[in-house]
Amino acid sequence: MSKERLSEDQASPGSPADAPGQAEVTSANGSGRGGRAGGGRSGRRTLTEGQRSERRLALLLCAPAALVMIAVTGWPIIYSIWLSLQRYDLRFPADQEFVGLANYVEVLTSSYWWTSFGVTLLITVVSVAIELVLGMALALIMHRTIVGRGLVRTSALVPYGIVTVVAAFSWRYAWTPDTGYLANLFAPGSAPLTDQASALAIITLAEVWKTTPFMALLLMAGLALVPDDLLKAASMDGAGPWQRFIKVMVPVMKPAILVALLFRTLDAFRIFDNIYVLTSGAQDTSSVSILANTNLIQALNLGIGSTMSVLIFLSVALIAFVFVKLFGTAAPGSDTEGRR
Amino acid sequence: MAAFGGTDTRARKLRWSLLNTLVVVYALVPVLWIMSLSFKTPATLNDGNFIPREWTLENYRSILSTTEFLRALVNSIGIALIATAIAVVLGTMAAYAIARLQFPGKRLLVGVSLLIAMFPQISLVSPLFEIERTLGLFDTWPGLILPYITFSLPLAIYTLSAFFREIPWELEKAAKMDGATPGQAFLKVIAPLAAPGVFTTAILVFIFCWNDFLFALTLTSTERSRTVPVALSFFTGDSQFQDPTGSISAAAVVITVPIIVAVLFFQRRIVAGLTSGAVKG
Amino acid sequence: MGRPAMRARPGRAAAAMGVALLAIPLAACGADQQGITVNLYYAPEDGLETVVENCNQQAAGRYRIVYNKLPRGADDQRLQMVRRLAAEDRDMDVLGLDLMWTQEFAGAEWIREWTGEYRAEAEEGTLEGPLESARYEDRLYAAPKNTNVQLLWYRTDLVDEPPETWDEMMETAQELKDAGDPHTILITGAQYEGLVVHYNSITASAGGHMLSEDGLRAEFDDGAVRALEVLRDFATSGLAHPGLTNAMEDDARLAFQTGNAAFQINWPFVYAAMQAETPELAGNVGWAPYPGVEPGSPSRSTIGGYNLAVSTYSEHPDEAFDAALCLRNAENQKFSAINSGVPPTIESVYDEPEMLDAYPMKDAILESVRNAANRPSTPAYQNVSTVLSHTLSPPSAIDPERTAEELRVSVQKALESKGVLP
Repeated sequence: MSKERLSEDQASPGSPADAPGQAEVTSANGSGRGGRAGGGRSGRRTLTEGQRSERRLALLLCAPAALVMIAVTGWPIIYSIWLSLQRYDLRFPADQEFVGLANYVEVLTSSYWWTSFGVTLLITVVSVAIELVLGMALALIMHRTIVGRGLVRTSALVPYGIVTVVAAFSWRYAWTPDTGYLANLFAPGSAPLTDQASALAIITLAEVWKTTPFMALLLMAGLALVPDDLLKAASMDGAGPWQRFIKVMVPVMKPAILVALLFRTLDAFRIFDNIYVLTSGAQDTSSVSILANTNLIQALNLGIGSTMSVLIFLSVALIAFVFVKLFGTAAPGSDTEGRR
Repeated sequence: MAAFGGTDTRARKLRWSLLNTLVVVYALVPVLWIMSLSFKTPATLNDGNFIPREWTLENYRSILSTTEFLRALVNSIGIALIATAIAVVLGTMAAYAIARLQFPGKRLLVGVSLLIAMFPQISLVSPLFEIERTLGLFDTWPGLILPYITFSLPLAIYTLSAFFREIPWELEKAAKMDGATPGQAFLKVIAPLAAPGVFTTAILVFIFCWNDFLFALTLTSTERSRTVPVALSFFTGDSQFQDPTGSISAAAVVITVPIIVAVLFFQRRIVAGLTSGAVKG
Repeated sequence: MGRPAMRARPGRAAAAMGVALLAIPLAACGADQQGITVNLYYAPEDGLETVVENCNQQAAGRYRIVYNKLPRGADDQRLQMVRRLAAEDRDMDVLGLDLMWTQEFAGAEWIREWTGEYRAEAEEGTLEGPLESARYEDRLYAAPKNTNVQLLWYRTDLVDEPPETWDEMMETAQELKDAGDPHTILITGAQYEGLVVHYNSITASAGGHMLSEDGLRAEFDDGAVRALEVLRDFATSGLAHPGLTNAMEDDARLAFQTGNAAFQINWPFVYAAMQAETPELAGNVGWAPYPGVEPGSPSRSTIGGYNLAVSTYSEHPDEAFDAALCLRNAENQKFSAINSGVPPTIESVYDEPEMLDAYPMKDAILESVRNAANRPSTPAYQNVSTVLSHTLSPPSAIDPERTAEELRVSVQKALESKGVLP
């Protein structure tokens, strides 16, 4: 968190147009921060009428969303955790028994699990990194282009809109030797999907193609916040396009970038559809989700499968934690919230 | 619009056109490949040619002549629209509270919603199936709408509250000074300002619902509520082992059209919203 | 439980209407709401609507079969049925099971045993191979609806005599390669059930066994090791299609149709497809039984197909057994064979005159089914198959002795449903 503060302090001096930002802070102090200082620790009972109605309104506004989410997922999540502590194969219900953490030991000592884990990490890191670069370029183009904006924006979003399974089939056909145009073009006589390295590259390509627009959309929201006069001012000070991008745009966009990265990383770590269609996890290309599917859904081993689900969940939670704590991704409701 | 480069408009336009072409090619080539497959005859389907050598509309005729596909299309559109509407409304309310108001349990709410966004959906499917069967929600529209709302809410709340934090809240304060209640201030002043964020979120949520395969496969069993991505997996080839590639491609093209229409439609709003945002800066 | 069933009614009605709209003329549409509904869950099969309608007419109002389509993917089919059966769903009556799931469903007590008259009728005139696939612990749990068997398809313009063994096939292919002719051999070599089917066929042809007789122990005897050698030799010969390790049935078929291959091992559907899509090529294609391992000893090819079972939770078991028998009776099997391309399980159907047009290769099919090998009989077959396909893929990396030893350990674990599956 201190890091986040520091970086903002660094960003502030050179940027004259931090003015609106400052104004926001002041206004936030007016109602939000100030309210907490007054009504905080020292005395809950001393809430003013305004604060009390604010709380009431807040709870009213949040209640429906919270209720729906808990109603639908509460039980399934608890059930999964409970299952992970059982030996429970759906086909042998008589053998069901409580085994404590034995399933966790089994999974964590399995080489299959760690292979999948490595593959998943690799795909996640590589695809998110590429997506960030391409997504930023795409966002800039969508936001700044002076010709054919509607066309560009619409077509750029098409990959994201297309059904993943169908897109994955399109890639699969395209890369199949003899019958696909890409295979014939780039790798005549060989079958790129049958070798681990090239199969992983194709999976990553399919994933990047599909989700870059999502990244771009989230980044575009941040881009819209970059004040034009700030860019003009930087331009007059003699900053080139690259400097303007790094010194002016990136700092302002930082929250949007981190949110986009967070969501894509969480999502990429659970990659399933593309692998399922392209290789079904053959040649050691299975991700942790594919492995969980094999054990939970196909083998009906609810114990082992649920253990994997919980482990995936923990990994993803760890990623989120790292993002929020180390990089200072603004989690709504955290201390940094509303302060940008 | 101030932008990069000098004042030579023609050169800039040219450069942009070039970049745009690149984007369009990148985005559309795989889609055009599916389109091309959908127009191919069975004999030329897998000749590897990017452009069909023989054209046919047979694939479209065959999917549009069955109730199987049309009914699924209706289900898909209905379910996705309803789920999007509800998720955006609920998400907007919660995001407003999170971005603007101080209240106990805020962190908990954000934490829980992130938790939900992160849990592997595969492991939720079986318990959900059992619950819905008990409640009689299995194979109904609400049976799909509820999970869709749930799983799009975290994203909706997150993106919306990010938008909301950037809104000039002085205006709200001003409205309150003029005697508006917090509720009125929300509806009259803030909501219109938040529109671009809301529309962006709506697109994301709609696409999520539109594309879902896992829930739709597990929580439906008849044409009553089966959606298109799942209906695709019910298409028959000429025999057990033959993939109905032609019909699947045609159906894929048909279901991509609504997305393009939606993006076209919302895209204008986003542009409008973004420009007004720029004015603020 | 009464209430959920009531609630499910409109669903059935909707499904019935859907089927009615799809099906060819319908006499008694939605006539009798009081009547018994028999819910059939079956993979999408072109033309099955007509068979269902035939049986509804034959039932003359005693019950009405409603065809609930399952998804096309085998895993998705199994999953949907398993999930419902685990929840003791009473709305399922007749289930269409890929034969490899029959033991699993029987072991979990999700399907009923066939006894008495029903059993007698299901067994009468039915080929032994398919029937064996419907048995578990010597009891009958399903009625075979259709069978299937892989044949060797070869280019008659390139090859004079079809090879009888894998070695012979590779020699011929090598000669073609040296002569610069199309020479590739296509099999379903992706990491999935299709690869396991080949391994099972080769093992059986070599006289080997993967599991002990009772299906409780992983054996992998000499024959099974020999089969590993055959697979490895094939994969490393340079004669397999480059896409070997990602090829499923349709991939193999399509690659053959490009005309660049000399051999293909695949199910009979490829012939009809070839005639429709590449008729010139089809004229130059012949068929032979699955290649064997040792010269002189006949091959044993793994059979596929579908069995009809009755759910344990069905509320109308008698009607369900009756309906299942009708759906697979000789007349309907003939219809399905001709219109949906699925080979019959009742031997006499092969003698019908119309069969010759639809199945010029019917004698080869019949002969192969008579010599068929079934997949290992164990309720944990799905686990075994997952482990096998992972260990056997890619076949070029097989080291026969070491791989067999690996399999003895991992398959044993899979049989006991312990440990992580790949």
